[in-house]
Amino acid sequence: MKTTRWLAVLALVLGLVLAGCGDDEEPSGGGGEATSTPAADVEKFDAGTPLGDIQEKGEIVIGVKYDVPPFGFNNPKSGKVEGFDVDLGQAVADKLGVKPKFIEAISDNRIPFLQDGTADLILSTMTINEERVGQIEFSDPYYIAKGRILVKKDNSDITGVDSLAGKNVCTALGSTYEATLKEQAPDAKLKLVDSYSECLESLQNGSVDAISTDDVILTGMIIQDDSLKLVGDELSQEPYGAGIKKGNTELQEFVNGVFDEYKQDGRYDKTYEKWVGQYTDTEAEPPDMTVDEAVELVKQNATG
Amino acid sequence: MPFAFVDTLTENFDEFLRGFGITVQLVVVSFVIAMAVGTLIAAFRVAPNPWLQRIGGLYVECFRNIPLLVLIFISYPGLRRAGVDISAFVAGVASLGLYTAAYVAEALRSGVFSVSKGQIEASLSLGFTYPETMRRIILPQAFRTVISPLGSLIIAMIKNSAILGGSILALDDLLKTGRVIASRTFDVIPAFVWAAAGYLILTGLATLAIRMLETRYAVKR
Repeated sequence: MKTTRWLAVLALVLGLVLAGCGDDEEPSGGGGEATSTPAADVEKFDAGTPLGDIQEKGEIVIGVKYDVPPFGFNNPKSGKVEGFDVDLGQAVADKLGVKPKFIEAISDNRIPFLQDGTADLILSTMTINEERVGQIEFSDPYYIAKGRILVKKDNSDITGVDSLAGKNVCTALGSTYEATLKEQAPDAKLKLVDSYSECLESLQNGSVDAISTDDVILTGMIIQDDSLKLVGDELSQEPYGAGIKKGNTELQEFVNGVFDEYKQDGRYDKTYEKWVGQYTDTEAEPPDMTVDEAVELVKQNATG
Repeated sequence: MPFAFVDTLTENFDEFLRGFGITVQLVVVSFVIAMAVGTLIAAFRVAPNPWLQRIGGLYVECFRNIPLLVLIFISYPGLRRAGVDISAFVAGVASLGLYTAAYVAEALRSGVFSVSKGQIEASLSLGFTYPETMRRIILPQAFRTVISPLGSLIIAMIKNSAILGGSILALDDLLKTGRVIASRTFDVIPAFVWAAAGYLILTGLATLAIRMLETRYAVKR
């Protein structure tokens, strides 16, 4: 009697697990949306080269953010990670004729992920700067974000970067804002956390007074919580680039080619409208800039 | 390469020292909370009153069976959202202290039970009150048998303090300092090796202190 009851429970649990799996697999057939390109376009690369190896594996591992709408976030409705960065990653995978495998890369671990081979490509709102160029290869910039400050709507103390002295300011550990804020607001108390979702929680519960990071990330937060507002002028320009392992110029050139095509054939505009434009009422301005120019642009941030 | 290792420490020494200092503060305050609350709860658990026993048991089951990280989320963002103006440091030491206290209480309780029941009966029949029996006869013997398990708990607590800095509390403790330096200099391995050295100093000191207590109070066998 007892055994049959246990078997019934076991069967029920197994049934639920299997049903769960079924749900996961269903949408993957229609995934990738309209960005998929016909397989006929795919160029075959020689085995032993970085691109050939990825084609042989049949998948490219791409590190993206999981909690930064609208660039990379886990959509609870589809159960998949979506966003601007994800669309670009999908385009690179399509061009190679492989499946993308998206993994979570936070600001602190994304460069180690490239160095130890955990990820082939990083698309996680990563600003191109001089220090990072010494560690990894970057694609040409695909987006230029602006550094801003986010506070609660009822906060009248903080009007810009100059009024941050003595205030608790949250940003992500390993982000460029650690240096930018030390330079432009040396008396602000920095609270460094792993993810911007923790910054949002800290601002909402009042343990920090402000968040400073890229405007698009902050806009994503305002979309979630309209009791927040942006204040002050831009404190920095943040050209985003895709990260690639140091020395892998083959993949770097390939990614640049994909991005150029993406900008020219109108897909960039569509992706921009889908993730950014419809919320900010702005037109896509795809950057036309080299990595070196991006590094120079970022250098000007320190001087304000 | 060995020189680069040393450079990571010398060039960031002030920062490492500050992080080390915060970890020391976290550990010391949590230790005091853990010992005080742990002893109280252990006393509840061995008290003759069944209601006190139940309260003690409830405490242990709650704090021992909830992950430390969850306690941090309850005590900091949770309480703040409920309108309690708690600081990150207080939330951190309260979480770690109360969490460790549950283990301390269990260790002390096992120590009390290691003292034979006959001694309690003898003490009560000699006219000692129950609290006196506990304080003068049972607990001194109980503490002696639990020095070694308490030592393991303290070492675990020192290591668990690293969870506080890595969490939403955003405290600049030793591990966090190591991570900040690693992300700034890209000297990832040296930064974490020096952070590990800092934790080894603390756990090493704790180990030494426990050894001394053990030799001093050990039952001669």
